[in-house]
Amino acid sequence: MRVLLAILLAAATCFAQDFTQRGFLENLGTLYPQDAKKDHTNTIGESLFRYEGFYKPRAALQVAGAIDLRIDTHQQVNRDLKLSWSDRELQRPLAEVRRLSALYHSGSVSFEAGKQFVRWGKTDILTPTDRFAPRDFLEVVDNDFLPITAARLTYEKRSNTLDVVWSPRFTPSRIPLLNQRWAVLPELPPGFVLHEANPDFPGGSQVGVRWNHVGNVEYAASIYEGFNHLPSFEALRDLSIRRFYPKLFMVGGDFAVPTPWITVKGEVAQFNSNDERVDDYFQYVIQLERQSGEWFFVGGYAGEAITNRGTQSVGFAPDRGLTKTLLGRAGYTIDANRSIAFEAAARQNGDGTWVKFEYSQALGQHWRATANLTLIRGEPGDFLGQYNKNSHAILIVRYSF
Amino acid sequence: MKQILLLLFLLQQDPRQIVEEAQRRTNAQSQRYEGTLQVVDAKSKITEKRWQYDRIGSHGSSKSVLRFTTPAEVKGVALLVVNHPERSSDQWMWTPAINRERRIAIQDRSTRFFGTDFSFEDLEERDTNQFEYRLVGNENIDGVDAWKVESTPRQTKVSQYTRSILWIRKDNYALAQIENYSKDQLVRRAHYTDIRNDQGIWTAHQIEMHDLKRNSRTILKIEKLSYNVPMKDDNFTLQSLRRES
Repeated sequence: MRVLLAILLAAATCFAQDFTQRGFLENLGTLYPQDAKKDHTNTIGESLFRYEGFYKPRAALQVAGAIDLRIDTHQQVNRDLKLSWSDRELQRPLAEVRRLSALYHSGSVSFEAGKQFVRWGKTDILTPTDRFAPRDFLEVVDNDFLPITAARLTYEKRSNTLDVVWSPRFTPSRIPLLNQRWAVLPELPPGFVLHEANPDFPGGSQVGVRWNHVGNVEYAASIYEGFNHLPSFEALRDLSIRRFYPKLFMVGGDFAVPTPWITVKGEVAQFNSNDERVDDYFQYVIQLERQSGEWFFVGGYAGEAITNRGTQSVGFAPDRGLTKTLLGRAGYTIDANRSIAFEAAARQNGDGTWVKFEYSQALGQHWRATANLTLIRGEPGDFLGQYNKNSHAILIVRYSF
Repeated sequence: MKQILLLLFLLQQDPRQIVEEAQRRTNAQSQRYEGTLQVVDAKSKITEKRWQYDRIGSHGSSKSVLRFTTPAEVKGVALLVVNHPERSSDQWMWTPAINRERRIAIQDRSTRFFGTDFSFEDLEERDTNQFEYRLVGNENIDGVDAWKVESTPRQTKVSQYTRSILWIRKDNYALAQIENYSKDQLVRRAHYTDIRNDQGIWTAHQIEMHDLKRNSRTILKIEKLSYNVPMKDDNFTLQSLRRES
């Protein structure tokens, strides 16, 4: 709570020419027409208030702060009245520091420390090298990025950028709640209830280095040593499960090549772990992009090859679940205020399909309404197909300021 | 004196000289303004946006950053344009909501920029060296005599437009209008009005871009304009897009 007061106080006292702010209040309603096996709730409401402030006491220094305040009808949001920094909770926190960082830059060097977002990679449909970007996967297919606590040093000289990131404290991705529809669990004998033991969060830090070149062709190479932000599970003797986050070493690269007709983007990454329980694997993504008039098209394929199979490879891995998959997105801007978009993912074996249609319209200078329909079909054994009871419709009304 | 007048007359008849003189007269180390955009669609519905524009460097190798300030939902969205004398510009768009920049490929530059009637290509600099010119006549525009010059992009310049007609005022060499053609069809018209002398540079304070295919118009009003403002080169990089988000 003291951090929240500090942010608000800073915002109030620094309100000057060097202070900018933005934010929104969003109300979201979700309708699931079908019951899931253990979740019979068909309608969910959620409200999110996000406030971001930026203060520049000097040209070379910027302090950025942001908070999220949420509430919902389905206990996806924790009811504890405390301000979260760590993002390690099972549920979304009621109040959360989304960003609090200081950024200093001098000439070619920038340094940012604090809670922030770090995004690597170039592809959109799956981003294997984006290792400092955990996500909130409570509703698996409608996910959002989580910030991390990190120090980031960037050196930019002409066409080249060197980015060094050190994160002293691990931020895991938030996974579906065990008692809700997005956690699809194996059948248990009657009378048995699956419990989750306290997770085993790793204590060490994470570090990564990325070199990026910008020219007619853009390319980057990156290495990362840390932990997988997506958990693996181990079964304990008392029939409970425990999340653990295996050590991860990644070497990867990404590129973007504009051609006269399309832009080709790609990413490759090799993931190794010294934890023999989990797989070592190689991922690649190839993506084609084109904008034409008011249309944009993105299409691609994500693939994976296991290079060393682990002894126990049960985990929650949407990144791996979306490999061996064809993915596409198309959008059309109707006018200055209205747009439509269509996204789809189809597993190459035909066992899972996800289709999303979205219509969005601005209403005046501050309001926007967005409606989307998501259809999921497939076999229970497939990553996408297992959510075949979770097709849904969402209506979002947002007021931005 | 007669020789000077004759030389001036000849210079004025050479379309490249006319365009180069128009460009020379707008030379400045940097430029900053706040722009208000009114997008008027075919049904006369008006949407308003605002951006701040910063430019550094001379013609041909300038860099500019355009950052939306309103409406609230696009606040912080920014476009970095790095112009090159020998080829088309590089452009990247920064979207704060996803914390990533996206390169705008050359083949995508015909797309409208964020719901306005300006395409991404319209926001890059028209360097004289990237076009061939032909004087096609003289015409009175907005009550002022103007040269009418046809420009066609050279092979090194990738453009959605096959040719453009420029109206350049004879009294102050300010650009008065551009008509852009795709094949033989007029697709966009930019009309420059409210031309004022700012720090010795004749500058249009209102640009109306008319998309004739969609029959929609965007009126850009330029406010708080200043030239030769101290700016740093490192504020025109990909990192600066992220820093200032």
